[in-house]
Amino acid sequence: MTVTEARHARRDKPRADVRWAQHLPPVLGVVAAVALWWAITVVFEVESFILPSPVQVGQAMVEQSDYLWDNTLVTLAETLLGFGLAIAVGVPLALIVTASRMLERTVYPLLLMLNAVPKVAVAPLLVVWMGFGQFPKVFLVFLVCFFPIVISTAAGLSSTPADLVELGRSLKTNWWQTFRMIRMPAAVPQLFVGLKLAITLAVIGAVIAEFVGATEGLGYAIVASGASADTALAFAAMILLGVLSVVLFYLLAAIERFFVPWAGRS
Amino acid sequence: MIGIRNVSQIFRTRAGDVEALRDVSLEVADGEFVAIVGRSGCGKSTLLRLVAGLQSATSGEITVAGTPINGPRRDVGFMFQRPALLPWRSVVDNVLLPTQVFKLDQRDARTRAHELLDLVGLTGFEKRLPHELSGGMQQRVSLCRALIQQPRVLLMDEPFSALDALTRADLTVELQRLQMKHASTVLFVTHSVDEAVLLADRVVVLSPRPGRLREIVEIGIARPRSLGHDGHSAELGELRARLHDLLMTPEEVAR
Repeated sequence: MTVTEARHARRDKPRADVRWAQHLPPVLGVVAAVALWWAITVVFEVESFILPSPVQVGQAMVEQSDYLWDNTLVTLAETLLGFGLAIAVGVPLALIVTASRMLERTVYPLLLMLNAVPKVAVAPLLVVWMGFGQFPKVFLVFLVCFFPIVISTAAGLSSTPADLVELGRSLKTNWWQTFRMIRMPAAVPQLFVGLKLAITLAVIGAVIAEFVGATEGLGYAIVASGASADTALAFAAMILLGVLSVVLFYLLAAIERFFVPWAGRS
Repeated sequence: MIGIRNVSQIFRTRAGDVEALRDVSLEVADGEFVAIVGRSGCGKSTLLRLVAGLQSATSGEITVAGTPINGPRRDVGFMFQRPALLPWRSVVDNVLLPTQVFKLDQRDARTRAHELLDLVGLTGFEKRLPHELSGGMQQRVSLCRALIQQPRVLLMDEPFSALDALTRADLTVELQRLQMKHASTVLFVTHSVDEAVLLADRVVVLSPRPGRLREIVEIGIARPRSLGHDGHSAELGELRARLHDLLMTPEEVAR
């Protein structure tokens, strides 16, 4: 072992000040955007029911915090349930699809067609079929998440690095060993690509479902406050939606870093 | 230990047949280290893959320990040009992979894995993931993995060719040390004359298109060998020059 090798092998720990420098640009971007928004409302004296100022939105958020919080939890629950359902169905389906060429050719066109249907168009139908409860919302989330999860998992399973396939061959692994020890773990980074794409779609799906035939949730809050010209409250709900989406995305990214620290480097 | 008899290999491609190997015969004795050198396209890697059972020969017969090869075998270890480590497994778990595939006793295997890692200077790195290691260290892990199943025959396909020159030299010295300790039967494919001369008992020179056995050069120099200033640099230099000439001068091909 040479000295350079040992140095190379040491884990790189970023220094604290370097980390701060990394977070500075996004924070600056948000601050600048809010400042610009504020400036526009002040300079052009925009009516608050057309474009409320950041201060009014902040007030709405504080004054209606209980209402907003309850509705955030409703949307969060629908999002997570639908997302979970999409994983539970999508991953096994990807396994089946990649297991045989025949099945792939049978199932893929169907999936593509299903995905081509605009989900917004399905939302009212789901109300007709499933009523006004939570289930049609969860189901719409499932519909939007399902496709990216199946496609990315299937792609991961069928693109195992050639040298690892060869390694398996040289050890004469049987199908199950190859799958368990090589193909499945090798597919996990791709799975996370699909999951991260799906989670951002999931929140959108939940809101669309709440636009039609809902009595709670952030999507409902936007429609209701818009109807009563309480634009500040609608903005507050939209901001919460954005925050929800971003938090879920980074949560997934953190889970990925924890479980798949090797992703993207080999 | 290894018997290669009249082996020919023809690849059928869309552009026509490609003759990769023509009538190659070679016997490798138990505990012997044989290097195969040749220019690109001489079929040296193909020959190794045939012995590994990763491909089957168009004609001819290959035996290991007296039994014909008809697929990958547990008593034949293979080390690839690239480390081919599982990126999600720690160093020690990568070494253990073959023993899990073969369902060997894990407690014994673990002890042996630590011994092997110690032998190549990787003690303290057992729990690291491959991406945290340098290329040379990764290839050392790969060597340990090839050795853990205690193969009778170790096949190495240009194992150091993806490394920088100095790391390469390090690993060559280390492999020589290992070989002196446990003389195992090794078939070592390389395009480096230096590696061949330092490591092998015999060097097999293949000539390209189609790959044929051109000459076998005995390296009768006592180990440990080195390319530095020591006793047998003159002999080594002589053999290097000879192998170099064999590789550089084209042989008349009877077609």
